[in-house]
Amino acid sequence: MTFGEYIRERREALKKDDRKYSVRQVAQRIGVEPAYLSKIERGDVAPPSEGKIRALALELGEDPDVLLAMAGKVSSDLLEIIRKRPQLFADLIRELKAMPDRAILRIARDVRDGDW
Amino acid sequence: MLELRQNSLVFSFPEVHHAASCKIDFQRTLRIPDDNRDYPLPPGLGRFPVEHVDDFAAAVPEKWMEHGGVFIPLYQSEALWLNFTGRYPCAIKVAAGKINAISGETWSNGLSAGTQDYAVVPGQPWLDGFNIAEDLVRQFVAMPLGEGYTAEEQITGEAEHGGLQIVAYPLRADIYKRDFEQEFRMHAHREREVVLFSNPEACYDSCASAEMGLAPGGTMRQHIYKDKYGIDDWDQDNGFRCFVHLVNSAAYESITGRKPPHRPLTAQDYTRRGLPWFEHYSDDKAMGGSKVLSALASVGARVIGKGQGVLPDNDPVKPRIVKTIGINHAVREGEF
Repeated sequence: MTFGEYIRERREALKKDDRKYSVRQVAQRIGVEPAYLSKIERGDVAPPSEGKIRALALELGEDPDVLLAMAGKVSSDLLEIIRKRPQLFADLIRELKAMPDRAILRIARDVRDGDW
Repeated sequence: MLELRQNSLVFSFPEVHHAASCKIDFQRTLRIPDDNRDYPLPPGLGRFPVEHVDDFAAAVPEKWMEHGGVFIPLYQSEALWLNFTGRYPCAIKVAAGKINAISGETWSNGLSAGTQDYAVVPGQPWLDGFNIAEDLVRQFVAMPLGEGYTAEEQITGEAEHGGLQIVAYPLRADIYKRDFEQEFRMHAHREREVVLFSNPEACYDSCASAEMGLAPGGTMRQHIYKDKYGIDDWDQDNGFRCFVHLVNSAAYESITGRKPPHRPLTAQDYTRRGLPWFEHYSDDKAMGGSKVLSALASVGARVIGKGQGVLPDNDPVKPRIVKTIGINHAVREGEF
């Protein structure tokens, strides 16, 4: 499924229960022309900027990283992390490529200790 | 490192030794009668769900974000016990509202070189309550903070912390290598049978405070075993600690959007069905109780003292089947 198709499907699903998810209203809330959002959904134009994709994710209750990936983009904060230590993170990501989700989740699931 | 895996806290110390780890989960159980009789150990009815505080940053109290850690849902006057698993020796200190459940002292980091204030795993399979005498504990019973029931409030006069605080330290690697690696004996893991069923009737609390603390309930026979090592044998530079927030079930649902587990059976219903209670057998030496903790009023006594009638579901029971679990007892893992 393309980025545009996915956006349309999610928006239409929400619109069934709430008219505020019409093309016109969603476009207005994320700050683009309705015709442009229609073109994005039809795949007539390339996916929009990271900022607009983040606004769409927020609007439609979707994960911004997932939508960015569908649009062939990587979040700018992740790019910044990699740019700071390119070799380390490039190696790390390649190492993790074949690991199951469960193992990857474990890396990120430390219980944080705070101040008490 | 400290991870949350399948509702268990997993402490591991790879920087000390590759085998250095231990696990703690929180078992749902029935509240034993709080009637000045001594009871055997109640069963485990499955693990409480445990959630990362950070996963619900927008919905939890600000204070929890400062503490970090995890949270679990409990009904008012519901009981719990801590289930310890591990083969590499670890010293585990447990506090409720920052009152040490073994010594009755207020929280401090590190292990006490004086009176032992920690349990040693393996050896100590479970901790069910506050250590009040050589062979007796008062059951951990969840009560809303601010109503004067919790051990913290009875000792400090304040309802400041609530929850459970846990720190685990591994045995020093050189001691482990000297004592264990040459001739490592597999300890049969001692697991209290997990009886799986629940009361289909869901109940929700409407108590004043969403945050809970642990109060002393009825008494049961449980030993806290003496440390067979020495205070210097623990690697206190490599401990991990965790703040376990306790929240009432209604607040849990509003924070997470998930249904909490159903309220467990009463001790009366459980016993009436002929289901087993437990005792633990070990040759290890037990330590004495804490004078501070033995002086606390139980929930049942306090309810009467406050002129609030009597604690519900508190009729005495006569456990007919009491299973003794020792070191060679077969393991039975429950599915959750």
